[in-house]
Amino acid sequence: MERLRISSQWVKIINDIWGHKSRSMLVVLSIAVGVAVVGMINNARYYIERDLYGAFSQGTPASIQIYVSYFPESLADEVEGLRYVAAAQARRDESVELVAADGKTFDAVLSAAPDYSEMRVNQIEVEEGAPAPSLRGALVERQAAEALGIDIGDVVVVRLQDNKTYELHIQGIVHDLYALPYSISSEVMLYTNLETIQWIGGRAGYNRLDVLLEGNPHDRETALTQGTLIRDRLLEPAGYRAGSILIPGIQANPGEHWAQNQVQGFILILQIMSAMAIFLSGGLVVNTITAILNQQVKQIGIMRSVGAERLQIARMYVFNVLIFSLGGLALALPLGLLGSIGLGEFAASFLNFDLTLHNLAPDVLAIEIVIALAVPMAVALWPILKGTAISVYQAIYQYGQIQDAGMGRVQRLLFRLKFLPPPVMMSLQNTFRNLPRLGFTVITLTMAGATFVAALSTRASLNAMVGDLIRYAAYDVAISLSGGANRLAVQREAFRLEGVEVAEVWTRAGAVLMNPNGSEGEQLALIGLPVDTVTIDVKLLEGRWLVEGDARNLVLNEDLAQLLGDIEIGDTLRLKIGDTTRPFTVVGIASRHLSGPSAYLPYAELAKITGRSYPADEVRIRTSLDGFASQEEQDALAVAVEERFSNAGLSDSAARPRHNRLSFFSGPFQIILVVLVIMAGLLGIVGGLSLTGTMGINVLERTREIGVLRAVGATNPAIRQVVVVEGIFVAIVSWGLVTLISPSTSAALAAAVITAVLRSDVVFSFSFAGLLYWLGIVVIIGAVASLAPARSAVTLTVREVLDYE
Amino acid sequence: MVVGETVNYSSEKHVKTRATSESKSTNGHSALIDFRDVEKIYRTEAGDFPALRGINLQIEGGEFVSVIGKSGSGKTTLVNMLTGIDHPTKGEISIAGVNIHELTESNMARWRGRNLGVVFQFFQLLPTLSVVQNVMIPMDFCNMYVPAERMGIAMNLLEQVGIADHAHKPPSRLSGGQQQRAAIARALANDPPIIATDEPTGNLDSKTANQVFELFQKLVDGGKTILMVTHDEDLAKRAGRTVEIADGEIIRQ
Repeated sequence: MERLRISSQWVKIINDIWGHKSRSMLVVLSIAVGVAVVGMINNARYYIERDLYGAFSQGTPASIQIYVSYFPESLADEVEGLRYVAAAQARRDESVELVAADGKTFDAVLSAAPDYSEMRVNQIEVEEGAPAPSLRGALVERQAAEALGIDIGDVVVVRLQDNKTYELHIQGIVHDLYALPYSISSEVMLYTNLETIQWIGGRAGYNRLDVLLEGNPHDRETALTQGTLIRDRLLEPAGYRAGSILIPGIQANPGEHWAQNQVQGFILILQIMSAMAIFLSGGLVVNTITAILNQQVKQIGIMRSVGAERLQIARMYVFNVLIFSLGGLALALPLGLLGSIGLGEFAASFLNFDLTLHNLAPDVLAIEIVIALAVPMAVALWPILKGTAISVYQAIYQYGQIQDAGMGRVQRLLFRLKFLPPPVMMSLQNTFRNLPRLGFTVITLTMAGATFVAALSTRASLNAMVGDLIRYAAYDVAISLSGGANRLAVQREAFRLEGVEVAEVWTRAGAVLMNPNGSEGEQLALIGLPVDTVTIDVKLLEGRWLVEGDARNLVLNEDLAQLLGDIEIGDTLRLKIGDTTRPFTVVGIASRHLSGPSAYLPYAELAKITGRSYPADEVRIRTSLDGFASQEEQDALAVAVEERFSNAGLSDSAARPRHNRLSFFSGPFQIILVVLVIMAGLLGIVGGLSLTGTMGINVLERTREIGVLRAVGATNPAIRQVVVVEGIFVAIVSWGLVTLISPSTSAALAAAVITAVLRSDVVFSFSFAGLLYWLGIVVIIGAVASLAPARSAVTLTVREVLDYE
Repeated sequence: MVVGETVNYSSEKHVKTRATSESKSTNGHSALIDFRDVEKIYRTEAGDFPALRGINLQIEGGEFVSVIGKSGSGKTTLVNMLTGIDHPTKGEISIAGVNIHELTESNMARWRGRNLGVVFQFFQLLPTLSVVQNVMIPMDFCNMYVPAERMGIAMNLLEQVGIADHAHKPPSRLSGGQQQRAAIARALANDPPIIATDEPTGNLDSKTANQVFELFQKLVDGGKTILMVTHDEDLAKRAGRTVEIADGEIIRQ
């Protein structure tokens, strides 16, 4: 370098970096981790916005879906002629079962559209094979095709409710961004034409209108109002019977992707975590720069003694930080890109969309550059200016000497603990010597710990919620009776199964909530069940449960209560059931169970309202009232129930074992929790690095003290113990803070995650186990982080310490 | 430029100066270095500790002055007052007409870089730079000479102190005497007229100490002014003038 005529200042900067490779790498890595996390999350968001929301909106998503009695294609044209309708598409949906070669059945929807190449709303893309299915042919949605190994040329068997089976030739693979993907719904989407529907015995005509409203309104109320207008002004006057008016998605807004709220919520949580990562990596930069400056105090003094101005020296360290930043950025860019591709691909496979280009968005690149360059510089500037302000005299004659600046309150308290051995006392006293530095390290470790405990508490809360949800599935096996059945026949068949003790029959009906102005509002489900039900364990939040003879009284679930807003016990709801609107009194509110807005009525009352005698829409079976069957027993019972009900002609639906419901709710959360625990792990690593830096500075600042210890006979283990005990003590102090703050931070994270993903209020449960795990982890971090500084301390000789003067 | 060559210097444009009534030295000329009633008191929790009391000292250009005294007598404090490393509690210090006690830390650093070379007892070379880079760094900081010339000048200085062969080694690979020579070369980097040195031979064996002293002598012969703090009375006697200090006061000069 000398021969290249690089100035000595630059040589010093480069040599300082190169001469302390581990330390330099530590700073570069800490910058890289923070920046890469930001890049990963924001670039993944860019992919999702471009390739999911972008593709979703390009395919003209429906604002509302209206189920109508069978109608011809021309009705969609008439609807489209309404001034508040931008486009309308006729569709036909038939629930069927797909029978695999091994006899296993899968829920499936046989969907038909007039022309797949010219769909006006919810456009489906044919990816392979025939552009449209011919008679006895079908296209299959790609995610289900991949999951079940279905390919073009295969023949699949579909079974109808009347138990008849038909063979359909798979003619193509389609991508339907508007249907719930197989990964979530476990429903196979098959696309065919009306002729094939008729061939399998279905009636002619379509039964669903997908409508894009003019101006693509994004609020639910406007969309539902306009949907009602379509029904009242066109469909019903034209003689069609309109059923549900739905807004597609999981409590989504009209025109938005069905999982947009959930995805945005999850990204927001990740962004908060990335901000924490940036904060911590910034802190680590401060710590390391402070360590470098402390280590080089004498060098700063020497440079000043040979004529360097403070700003000249400060500039050298600024360049030093700049090099760290550039190194961090160089690492972070590919890491962030790879991470975003991984996250994007994961989202794409889960939500069934394609990543079109694995690029780095220009604005994400700009954010990464700004963060990589600005954050370390901003946080390092103060320590640099402070460190370089030292006078030559202080640098050369005073630094490293035993400071007797008096004791703080904590140190005075510790001083009273006379029973402590001197080395332990020294460790504890050392901990509180530099409170700002201790503060930063403790904050870093505390944040990591709080995140860790919060992640585990979120899981505990989810388990608690699932526990609450599962109260509403207090059965071993349940089976739906599509199309309805007779309660007496259903119970007779159920009790013929060996070991069945309870066969509780429910009936259901749809209802529309009527607004005070007479317009129709949200849809809800009415559930008629025995008032002394033993297949749900009701958790009442307010009011009372149903009693025999309750007429026009109902118990709402929490989802419905939330939808209604300020509902109170004793309020009256006007519900339209069929063509009749009736008033009902709210007598109780039960906890939520994620089956959507529902209300419970006595079985006999709902049967009377719907005019059905002994209706049975679902039967819930238990083998014992004292507990639930094992997972294997539930599976075996499910198979037996399916077989008996199929043979009896009561139902061909799949029976649902209780444990399936549990895993359905828990599954998606596991991924989120893994991400959260990984983030907590990263924060823990940054916290550990920070503690290493702090301990390193502490050792450096106490060089003379260590020399004195050496001179009075301290052995290597004794000196090592002083340093390691200090590290562990700092870790334990941080754990103490975690115990104080983690109940509230954990509640906040659990609420954020669960609200984002489930759109549901949280039932918080604090993870005490997580708190104990963190104690173990942080003690290990404290010990490991102190090992390197402890090793440095034991290598100091008395002579070196004297030379230090 | 070679060691010992006299250079003409002037006070820096950016250094504040003020008109002073410069003290006359014993021969009636204005002194290059002028301490007037200088006091230094260190304030500690145990109470005030006067390190220097009423110091009046005038040194002319080209003088080789040694300062001797017992440990704790105030020798190092005195040289630190000269180099601006420490500041007097009271009194004035003027060097070539510049009242250095009035300079800010930054202006002091700039002024010192060009006008005063400092040699420490423990050499204080920067460990991450080679020997020649250590010599070049004052030039960089003070923007002295054309950058392309700095290496040549630094090598020349190392040649003069007899360690050119070690120019590209890290300081840790040099002996104590060699390191002190490198420190002297660094002190001469910007060709300052004054060299201040605190126990330059304190960490050297007698043979090496003698060689370093001869180097100083050669510098004085070339026109440099040297103030050397030492506890070695024999060495001190070989300087042109000896100032003895005890309990912060000059008791003999």
